Amino acid sequence: MSVFKPVLTEHIHQKDCHTLSFYKSVGGYSALEKVLKMNPADVIQEVKDSNLRGRGGAGFPAGVKWGFIPKDTNKPKYLINNADESEPGTFKDRLLMNKAPHQMLEGMIIAAYAIGCQTSFIYIRGEFYKEFKMLEMAVAEAYDGNILGQNILGSDYNLDVVIHRGAGAYICGEETGLIESLEGKRGWPRIKPPFPAIEGYLQSPTIVNNVETLSCVPHIITRGASWFKSIGPEKGPGPRLFCISGRVNNPGVFEESMGISLKDLIFDRAGGIPDGKKLKAVFPGGSSSAILTSEEALDVNMDFDELTEKKTMLGSAGVIVMDETVDMVQACLNIARFYAHESCGQCTPCREGTAWLVKMLTRLVNGGGTPKDIDMIFEITDNIGGLIDFSKGSFGKTICPFGEAVAWPVRSFVEKFKDEFLAYLPQEKVVA
Amino acid sequence: MSSNGSSNEKFIFENTEKVKRILSQYPDKKSATLPLLHLAQSENLYISGAVINTVADLVDCHPAVVMDCVSFYTMLYTKPQGRHIIQVCQTLSCSLNGADALVDHVTDKYGIKPGETTEDGRFTLMKVECLGSCGTAPVVQINKKYHEGLSQKLIDELLETHQ
Amino acid sequence: MPLLKIDDKEFQVESGTTVLETAESNGIEIPHYCYHPALEVVGSCRMCLVQVEGMGKLQASCNTFVGDVHPDRKVEGKYDMVVHTKNDLVVQERKNILEFLLLNHPLDCPVCDQAGECYLQDYSFKFGNAHSRFDEDKRVRPKEYLGSQIVINQNRCILCSRCVRFTQEISGTSELFVEARGYNSKIAVLEDKPLDNLLAGNVADICPVGALLSTDYIHKNRIWNMEKKPSVCQNCSVGCNVDVFSQKNQIFRLTARENQDVNGYFMCDIGRYGFHRFEEIERVSQPMVRNGKSFDMLDWEEAIQKTADLIGKSKDKTAGIVSPFHTNESNYLLGLMMKDTLGFLPPITGDEITYPAGFRISADRSPNLRGMNDVCGELEEDFFPIIKTRDICGLYVLDDGVDRELDNRWKDILAKMDFVIVQGYAMTELAKSAHILLPGLAPFEREGTITNDQGRIQWLRPSLAKKGNSKSDWEILMLVRNALDKESEHFAGLGEVIKKMSKQFSSYSEISLFKIGSQGMALNGKNT
Repeated sequence: MSVFKPVLTEHIHQKDCHTLSFYKSVGGYSALEKVLKMNPADVIQEVKDSNLRGRGGAGFPAGVKWGFIPKDTNKPKYLINNADESEPGTFKDRLLMNKAPHQMLEGMIIAAYAIGCQTSFIYIRGEFYKEFKMLEMAVAEAYDGNILGQNILGSDYNLDVVIHRGAGAYICGEETGLIESLEGKRGWPRIKPPFPAIEGYLQSPTIVNNVETLSCVPHIITRGASWFKSIGPEKGPGPRLFCISGRVNNPGVFEESMGISLKDLIFDRAGGIPDGKKLKAVFPGGSSSAILTSEEALDVNMDFDELTEKKTMLGSAGVIVMDETVDMVQACLNIARFYAHESCGQCTPCREGTAWLVKMLTRLVNGGGTPKDIDMIFEITDNIGGLIDFSKGSFGKTICPFGEAVAWPVRSFVEKFKDEFLAYLPQEKVVA
Repeated sequence: MSSNGSSNEKFIFENTEKVKRILSQYPDKKSATLPLLHLAQSENLYISGAVINTVADLVDCHPAVVMDCVSFYTMLYTKPQGRHIIQVCQTLSCSLNGADALVDHVTDKYGIKPGETTEDGRFTLMKVECLGSCGTAPVVQINKKYHEGLSQKLIDELLETHQ
Repeated sequence: MPLLKIDDKEFQVESGTTVLETAESNGIEIPHYCYHPALEVVGSCRMCLVQVEGMGKLQASCNTFVGDVHPDRKVEGKYDMVVHTKNDLVVQERKNILEFLLLNHPLDCPVCDQAGECYLQDYSFKFGNAHSRFDEDKRVRPKEYLGSQIVINQNRCILCSRCVRFTQEISGTSELFVEARGYNSKIAVLEDKPLDNLLAGNVADICPVGALLSTDYIHKNRIWNMEKKPSVCQNCSVGCNVDVFSQKNQIFRLTARENQDVNGYFMCDIGRYGFHRFEEIERVSQPMVRNGKSFDMLDWEEAIQKTADLIGKSKDKTAGIVSPFHTNESNYLLGLMMKDTLGFLPPITGDEITYPAGFRISADRSPNLRGMNDVCGELEEDFFPIIKTRDICGLYVLDDGVDRELDNRWKDILAKMDFVIVQGYAMTELAKSAHILLPGLAPFEREGTITNDQGRIQWLRPSLAKKGNSKSDWEILMLVRNALDKESEHFAGLGEVIKKMSKQFSSYSEISLFKIGSQGMALNGKNT
């Protein structure tokens, strides 16, 4: 098995790898120096050419997003670094913030430069207090080192970074929910249009990018778009941090090339399943993705498009492994409860539907279920988040993708492990 | 009715320098709401009615709007909590790695169910959702710090050090 | 201008109009809850979802904007957007959303005030399922008082957030907020800052279900028992348009009636609950003449004759007191009778209050000061010198009906008069000191025109029947005038008074009740 040479996590095991002096000693901020002499439009083009797709969950091409910023407005532009990592199964941004904060910061400054931003924000989830302190330190170092503030590295470019802590809401990871929270309100996602790139934070053009996405940017600048595009599948390339947790021997973050097989991830990198148990089901992309059965999981590569074809998604690449000891119904309830807890409550299907699912699943688990309930779960999930058949178009009914995020996994549990659900029905009620 | 409004009682921030710094960082005052609430909670231990009034004054809005914000987030407490808030993650990866048993263990040992506080005000136990460290499950956050890869023995030792 | 097709109808619309706006203004029903034309669009109820050709997801029509598209992308070569509001997909979707809304909604219709005017009821009937598939326990919460005038029945709330947006955007007072999140969300107020601003009553109007209710009206009646009559509020010079709901000659409530040139969609609580005042006053409904310290009843002929005699004998030494609380026609006829010897009582004022979105409560708490000045020729600001110089010995007063404490100067004048004739409906202090009482109509019984402070003339329409032996104020004045001068006109109806009035004042030259209609008319075509 060829070992992938890490790009983003190359230095994370070195002493003091989080400091500015270390980062500079390994070539850090040379990409920024290069960018400050470039035309912002060229920077955007380079990132576009690299086919870098968002690593937060949506997988939207970063360069294309940056290109949406209107050129003909006097409104200030804002760049927001989305460090609100809350997707179950995902813990890679935390690693990057702890061990390579300057890499992320450099990516942020380059992105801010490209879109003409003067004040940028890092929205970090409230629970990540240690990481917040780490970022505070890194930002202070950057200001001291003329990498932030006025006339960065002797250029005309000025940038301020404000670190903003969240306070415990998964929905603030959704870009418009984040913007609302940043504006000091409850994190209720906004309807689109208008899109954040046109009217975002304080009604001004705003770009929201994930920590890992931004961390890729300095490397794209230094080594070129074609280099980046050559790593893994061309339509969704690059080094990727895969998180594996659940029932595995070596859970953790593994940096691999996009397109690595899920089988390798689980059985090679993560050391397989403890106690010789068999694989049963896998979440490929955080809990918002549809689960794969072991058969499906062993036959797929971690690629945006390939997983979409299999009616699930790469999302945040948070792989959660479930083995034969895991009760699928309990797991389904666990996930449904997570979404009910995190639902912002703004729109009808999600607010009422998630709670209904939890109540129904709880009743089922406690022995009070009926065969009709199993069918109802399909209906309810469809009514919140639509069918997972992308050929028919995504039929979500909610303001934000939270509806799809709860519908797809819950539905997939019932679809693929119906027997386990039926087994919870009081036996006399099951029609032979 | 929400009972956190205390007429015109005001909360006095200790770290006035930080308050000024926070307010100056944002292009719009209202964005300073969350950071000011975090600061207030670190000084006052919970968001009282007086805190809400003060923050509302500082960001130039009605206290009800601040309360709207406060009640949305799980990390902002509108009632006093125990000295040490034990937050056990209950989402899938942690649940698959023994989180539920950990919760029961703490309940047995200290007599508090999730949501409750010990009589001496030492511990509050809470079940929370994904803390973003699934690789080191099960994870518990006590006050500001993460404690990862816990077991019943380890959590016993850990809680001993939290008086 | 983009061409929009909704179902089988085509519309040419302004670029940037939404599908829902187009549907609403063309009588196409797209059910909705959270959308309100005066409030910011949030698209949260998801009830207005429609299918737009070319878009995979169903779109919220309240936030779907129509614009010109590139000719290559026009549907069927000509439409910029094609929308389906009645196909299977949309029909099914409405059922689903209604199902979600009804999950925790109690079956309260038999005891809920909103029944009969409830969007949830109406849409369930039209678009919903007949049966519920919910087998779980419903979320139950106690009802709460959000302020002295508004109670919230938490179980019925569908979290459309109209009320919250109202207090943020329209009244600017922000008392209401959403507490908690997800399934536990609910509308709340801070305990020490309840919903008690002067626009509070509107939240009960805009609540689409029976969650927010007016404590004044609660459990008093049913919408299908009441008659709804349009009129104009008479509590200040803004002249908000209202609908008056009454049954068997008793008013139960007022709600705002839309008029984009006056009050938008709302009204204030002063006007909303002001009708109660008339339930408690001592009413004058029979012509009366003073006899020592009390009054003797008269019939109308006698009363009119006595009045005319008194005025006639005074030989032009009678003055008229017009009133900004009376209609243009009443003030006008008194003006004709008293020929430039007119004054008026001290004005009733209060605070001038303007709300962020533009709604206003005027400091002038009379409905027709502008009209009174317009149709009475030269009104003397300071009336007292006139009384001296013209040697006035008698007054004919159109009583405001507002019981007020008159200052000493007025009290002296009244004491010095040989006679005071009061035309009014209430036994005010002034009425008590009259020599002859002519019973006119109370504000909700009157018909006529009034002019607001922006120069808009509006049609005041009666909501209640005349009480006792009262007559219309213009009719009384006409009869007195006829008795004084046999040559004066006999008007067959209000319309004829208006016609004569319109001929005399150029700014009123175009008016007629027909033209004024339900939305009023700007004098001189300008709203100044």
